Amino acid sequence: MNQFQMASPTEARDLYSPVMAVISKVEKMTELENLYTVVLPDGAELGHKPGQFIELSIFGVGEAPFSISSSPTHRGEFELGIRRVGMLTEVLNRMEVGQKVGIRGPFGNGIDIEQFKGRDVLIVAGGIGLVPMRSIINYVIDNPDDFGKLHIVYGSRTDEDLLFTEELARWEADPKIDYHVTVDRGSLDWKGKTGVITTLIPGLELDLEKTVCCVCGPPIMYRFALLALKSKGLPERNIFMSLERRMKCGVGKCGHCQINSTYVCQDGPVYHYPDIKSLQEAL
Amino acid sequence: MVQFFLESERVTELVTHLKGQKPVFAPHRKGRKSFAFERVEDAADVVLDYPRVMHSIRKFFLPPRETLMTFDLAENDFSTADVQPSDAIFFGVHSYDLGAVHRLDYNLGKGHPEKNYITRRQGAVFVGVSFEPDAYHFCGSVGIDPMDTSGFDIFLTKLLDGYIVEALTEVGEQLLNGLDLPAHEAGKPARGNFQQHIYLPQAKLNEVMAKSYDNPVWAETAEKCVGCGTCNLVCPTCYCFNVEDTVNIQATGGTRDRHWDGCMLREFTGVAGGEVFREHLADRQRHRVFRKFKYISDETGQPWCVGCGRCTAYCTAGISIVNIVNRLVGDYEKVAVTPI
Ligand SMILES: Cc1cc2nc3c(=O)[nH]c(=O)nc-3n(C[C@H](O)[C@H](O)[C@H](O)COP(=O)(O)OP(=O)(O)OC[C@H]3O[C@@H](n4cnc5c(N)ncnc54)[C@H](O)[C@@H]3O)c2cc1C
Ligand code: SF4
Ligand code: SF4
Ligand code: FES
Repeated sequence: MNQFQMASPTEARDLYSPVMAVISKVEKMTELENLYTVVLPDGAELGHKPGQFIELSIFGVGEAPFSISSSPTHRGEFELGIRRVGMLTEVLNRMEVGQKVGIRGPFGNGIDIEQFKGRDVLIVAGGIGLVPMRSIINYVIDNPDDFGKLHIVYGSRTDEDLLFTEELARWEADPKIDYHVTVDRGSLDWKGKTGVITTLIPGLELDLEKTVCCVCGPPIMYRFALLALKSKGLPERNIFMSLERRMKCGVGKCGHCQINSTYVCQDGPVYHYPDIKSLQEAL
Repeated sequence: MVQFFLESERVTELVTHLKGQKPVFAPHRKGRKSFAFERVEDAADVVLDYPRVMHSIRKFFLPPRETLMTFDLAENDFSTADVQPSDAIFFGVHSYDLGAVHRLDYNLGKGHPEKNYITRRQGAVFVGVSFEPDAYHFCGSVGIDPMDTSGFDIFLTKLLDGYIVEALTEVGEQLLNGLDLPAHEAGKPARGNFQQHIYLPQAKLNEVMAKSYDNPVWAETAEKCVGCGTCNLVCPTCYCFNVEDTVNIQATGGTRDRHWDGCMLREFTGVAGGEVFREHLADRQRHRVFRKFKYISDETGQPWCVGCGRCTAYCTAGISIVNIVNRLVGDYEKVAVTPI
């Protein structure tokens, strides 16, 4: 007898074959980052939740995970904000509108909207961390009745690295959004704040009990953001974090994304802070 | 269950009998001390008395390298590789290696059941053989006896001059049909003694591991370890993999392949931008050992190490997983019995 039951062949799935989707638009955001709009065959919906990711592949080059940057309320297509850092992202940068890429997913848990409903939402995004957070931001903006206040705190290395600048201007102008931005080093034209992202947190006007916060940024940012949020008095149970690890399969098999006992591609990338605070490898 | 007796000289006859019904894979001698599971061409080449094969039968269900799909660059299209059931007899398998397959069944079947693995597992028939523990085996400490027949279709228990043959499933019985074997009347022999032991059972190890994150043994082991990943490569319960595209020489197409990967390798947790999440070998040692005795064990209650001794026998640096675990046990008990 096998003491561990094996799934039956009828339950087994082909987990690794992508569907071929068309790049319908490419928008240059910065020197390194593009926004790609992708359309699935027959305009099918991706059916994702804010905070989820896909695996994108180009034959002959490989496959990598990318966050879905558009909100599910944006229908008929989805958007990926991608930084050029290596082989796959370079080749993608050279592709043209109309060409096809492989897509698998959506993967990961995404945010639990039910836990966010009726609450004020605070987004803390560092650098490219704004890409996944944008799916939540736009979901909140598109469903104003379901949420309270929206606070956005965004930090970038320089003003030239700011992503989604048109949208940033809209968020800034929107009286319903409490928007703050800072850059580590500003150019001569930069009129906004300079300093690391955590300097923005003490000045926020938050309803501490009512606010749920989601943090996403480079690995180094989490610990500092957490300290700032805690000294602000935000209860730990109101904090969520979207984590990044190396990922290969997206389906809990390849082992690359593991943090202690948890698989980021399955139980994450969005974690409730109390669930991971005791995991030594998480932050 | 009826038991038969098979004289040592008749093993070839048994293999030939089985081979007439399904392909048979069995241990073959590859060097003075090395053995490997291969498809049987000549029944006389099969070796039943062997300490361990370097790669367990895992390699038939989760191959070291497998093509997931073939792509055409001009068409920008692909076809998924056709995976076939193994539909074969795995002959002369040790109990710990079947225990490892059962663990992989859990890992690859859980959550998103994986077609490639589960398809290959179909039609697999297991014929086990008992073994004498050598200087590395410690499966007795993880609840797997050398004469443990669970999960096997047929089991051969070694006697001085032959084997006790037991058919344990209907499939096993049918495969033996037509072979004229005398009944075995006497009981089973006593099993050989283990030279290696882990001092506590898994139920206790759970407590030990929970207190071992900061144990100095990780850093001390890391000083000897070279991070070669051999221990992952030979472990029958390791299943982590990487996926890579290879383009053919005409640059018209290629294959997307997956191959075994190992958590002891530095790049395993490396991401774009240069961050490596388990940078230190101490972190990787802890992860490897926790994968075998903590993370999946907390979920299933079972050790995920089957005590085959391979990682120790083949380690480039002479690192012993038994010594690591016993050190954790010793340090835990020291603290546990220290009066307050
Ligand atoms: C959940 C998740 C969401 C992400 N979202 C975004 C996003 O929205 N925008 C964005 O620009 N980047 C995102 N990334 C990072 C992105 O996956 C890497 O930038 C990408 O893998 C780099 O591939 P490359 O071949 O261009 O780079 P290379 O450095 O050439 O990559 C070499 C190899 O490393 C692997 N690799 C490197 N970094 C990662 C990584 N983080 N995860 C998995 N494999 C990696 C690649 O698969 C490749 O095989 C995300 C990563 C994760 C895990
Ligand atoms: S085989 Fe030995 S030296 Fe190599 S990674 Fe494993 S423990 Fe380290
Ligand atoms: S951890 Fe070592 S002894 Fe345990 S199953 Fe793996 S290779 Fe065998
Ligand atoms: S990405 Fe493969 S296990 Fe999570």
